[in-house]
Amino acid sequence: MRRFALALSLAALSGLAVAQDDAPADPVAGETRVDRETGLPHWRKIHEVFSHSRCANCHVEDERPRWSGAHYGATRIHAFNVQRGGDGSGFGNPGQRCMTCHMETNSPRPHGPPGAPHWHLAPAEMVWWEKSSAEICAQIKDPERNGGRTLAEVADHVREDALVRWGWQPGAGREPAPGSAEETYEAILAWQAAGAPCPDQ
Amino acid sequence: MRLTVDRKQIEINADPDMPLLWALRDLAGVLGPKFGCGIAACGACTVLIDGQPVRSCVTPVGAVEGDVVTIEGLAEGDTLHPVQQAWLEEQVAQCGYCQAGQIMSAVALLEEIDDPTDADIDNAMGGNLCRCGTYPKIRAAIKKAAALKMARA
Repeated sequence: MRRFALALSLAALSGLAVAQDDAPADPVAGETRVDRETGLPHWRKIHEVFSHSRCANCHVEDERPRWSGAHYGATRIHAFNVQRGGDGSGFGNPGQRCMTCHMETNSPRPHGPPGAPHWHLAPAEMVWWEKSSAEICAQIKDPERNGGRTLAEVADHVREDALVRWGWQPGAGREPAPGSAEETYEAILAWQAAGAPCPDQ
Repeated sequence: MRLTVDRKQIEINADPDMPLLWALRDLAGVLGPKFGCGIAACGACTVLIDGQPVRSCVTPVGAVEGDVVTIEGLAEGDTLHPVQQAWLEEQVAQCGYCQAGQIMSAVALLEEIDDPTDADIDNAMGGNLCRCGTYPKIRAAIKKAAALKMARA
């Protein structure tokens, strides 16, 4: 597994010794002083995106994606008994996969399903739904819970992955995530350069 | 544009954004898949593409890569698919409008789970709505189809 190699806050130092065993993918590894004053504004931009309903609706800890957001009214569990899937893949269950209804592009019809390539739930350990900013921050820095990514790889994922990018092009009638994929990519790198500080709450 | 539908190659002249359902019904004359809602919210239009269920009303025909199987392509000659046979034996249909889609989802389920539990059936069939409320019969028929399929294997 790829290891995370960053200068971390004191609370995360216990993981650093392990991280230094493997290739330090991030250029600031072991060098960057944590600068909360510079880093936390960048984190707030990142958190605005990650906690937005376009992203968090499918970053759930349980089996069921959510329907929520400015245009949805009350938050609801996704209809049709849609679930993560018994195999834990996030792609749904036999007979009813996410991509049974979600195509690779948004449906142009009012209330039609949104679409992007490989539509699926994020792994349960990548939970953002109803988590605090501090909890999401800790998760995204933890390679055990972020898909084994360095922060640079997280930034690349946000900028490059078609399903992630859908958050800014969600189709008519849906509020997009704040900013853009590029701005979020840059915010992650700037946050990383400031030592990736996490908020207290 | 060339498609494989129910094991036959067909040639159609369609806008790539046309829903597969329109292409099937209006251009290819395959009338088994039904229009219900047009937004993947009822399941009446369900077909299989390479064995996976999709709602053909929201599938752009230009995006189809793989073999399409509709309710009309399930039987092998005069021999009904086990799901179709079970549907008859359990007399599932009431008005029948949704049943083509129900059957296709059930076929997809049984392709992956030989002997589904009630939970497996609920998980597979939650997107196929039946305004007649034939759900108990659908459940019974899927269990019967599983047994028929295993008996034929």
